[in-house]
Amino acid sequence: MGAAFVVLYRLFLRHQLTTGRLVLIGSLNAVALLIGFAVGTSDPFDPTQAAADIVWFYGLGLMAPIISLVLGSSSLGDLQSDETLVYLWHRRTPRWILAAAAWLAPTTIAIPATTFGLVGCAILAGGFSGSLFFGTLFAVAIAAIVYSAVFTLLGLLFKRALIIGLIYLFIWEQFVARAGGGAARVSIGTYPSSILAKLADVELFLADRSTVTAFVVPLVIAGLSILLTARRLDHMDVA
Amino acid sequence: MTEQPPPPGPARPEAPLPPTRPTQPVAPAHPVAPVQPVAPARPVQPVSATNNLPPPPAAWPPPDATVVAYDVSLSFGSLVAVSNVSVAVRPGVSALLGPNGAGKSTLLRMMSGQLSPSSGRVWVAGGDPRQDAEARNRIGLVPQQDGVFEQEKALSIVRLAAILSQLDNVEERARWALNLVELDPDIERPVGAFSKGMRQRVKIAQALVHDPMVLMMDEPLNGLDPRQRKQMISLFHDLGSQGKTVLVSSHVLEEVERLGSHVIVIARGRLAAQGDFRGIRGLMDNQPLRFRVSCDNARAVAASLIGAGSVVGCTVESATELQLTTADASRFRREIASVCKSHDVRLVEVAPLDEDLESVFRYLVGGG
Repeated sequence: MGAAFVVLYRLFLRHQLTTGRLVLIGSLNAVALLIGFAVGTSDPFDPTQAAADIVWFYGLGLMAPIISLVLGSSSLGDLQSDETLVYLWHRRTPRWILAAAAWLAPTTIAIPATTFGLVGCAILAGGFSGSLFFGTLFAVAIAAIVYSAVFTLLGLLFKRALIIGLIYLFIWEQFVARAGGGAARVSIGTYPSSILAKLADVELFLADRSTVTAFVVPLVIAGLSILLTARRLDHMDVA
Repeated sequence: MTEQPPPPGPARPEAPLPPTRPTQPVAPAHPVAPVQPVAPARPVQPVSATNNLPPPPAAWPPPDATVVAYDVSLSFGSLVAVSNVSVAVRPGVSALLGPNGAGKSTLLRMMSGQLSPSSGRVWVAGGDPRQDAEARNRIGLVPQQDGVFEQEKALSIVRLAAILSQLDNVEERARWALNLVELDPDIERPVGAFSKGMRQRVKIAQALVHDPMVLMMDEPLNGLDPRQRKQMISLFHDLGSQGKTVLVSSHVLEEVERLGSHVIVIARGRLAAQGDFRGIRGLMDNQPLRFRVSCDNARAVAASLIGAGSVVGCTVESATELQLTTADASRFRREIASVCKSHDVRLVEVAPLDEDLESVFRYLVGGG
């Protein structure tokens, strides 16, 4: 069982790292560094708050979900579209192992790929601190965990998962969920934002979940998404 | 659909998975049926394409059948891909024959558990491959699609298959499977850089690695050169003679002729015929068939053949070529030789015009 998980995880990991995706990740990190540099040179009133605002708006609002979307939706989605999923699906390995490996691969890429640029951004903005570093690290990790799980499922459900995911991110997460507290409750982004606010001790818009809730709810959503992915794998037709 | 009782015979009791034996790679492990190397030839049974399949006889399916599809149908929207097909496949090599788009890949996918039939049921070696992972593991699957993991090496792909099948001696099994299909396990370049024939062999190797009881292969000979084809067909026969069920789909009649004596013919989503290949050829011979004859005096040969009685129609195409229709192919074959000899005519070629696959289907499905 363990060997199957490891070999699947490695397979997904190798297939995630295409040139196009690496360029996208690099570009998003470069933009983060540029933003940090721009903020740092503008002499902000509260550098820590300014750095946290960038991490919140750009890092947790765009960078982490987009990287997770691009990687997560392709994890099983690519195998389904190039019809290689059958080679994994037809074996006796339990579906939940396949689902878990397909989720873990994008997650493990998304966490460092997002954290690197954001930490650099905070340093350049002049607001870097230990609490902001840990806040960013945990918030990004939770965001990557939950978004990757949701988008891995989305990739299995829809051929155009990338488009659907972008629509979800820009319409719901960026627009509707920021309209007020009620909508924010059903937004994934609120929870990583709350972790950042609590751990870095900064004020962020609509990031008012308790620390426990901010950790537990995304993990539950991720777990459910992996279960649904496994269930979908169990019931789907594979060409 | 009215739920039909499960057909008798085909190994519904939960049979334990045969243990994989590293030292004996292709062991004739067969918990369901007694080892019967190749299914004996049975008379061919053409099936009406327009009527529903009659209820299976009490003796159906055969007790040693390892793959049974009972009254399976599958539609994609308004398109009926497979309609009320019942087939039983026994150990040995069987061929699933049909033109492109006939529904044979869909049927094979239902039998391997990839697709869920809209109605009907499938059993493979005692279980439903869709529900039962152990039943699925008794199948070695070679899908039709060309795609394999392009960035991986051949050995990695077969090793992956071995690990996912929970084998113990992964490396040894992977190398054995690749050697079986005559592919060097140590090739360094990724499969994406392989020729189509090499990729096909990787696909076959990954299907064989866990020593499955049933092999289901969708057009596995595509892309192979003649030597590789011959070698693969010989491998399939070896596996069949070891008691494994080898089901190969193809749309090439000549290929099927070399593949196996038992043939399942699918046309327009329906079972057109099943039985011994020679039986199908025999049925063909009893129908009016067309031949093209090349000789150095076409007119004289045409006149004599019509007089002899075996030929019912004749067109002289040129001084050296005629096309004729006969109702008795074997009698015609005898007569043509004696007619040419008696007229001192040099016979260059007698070529059947109706032995292409389409003609077989036209007869089997359309009734002539």
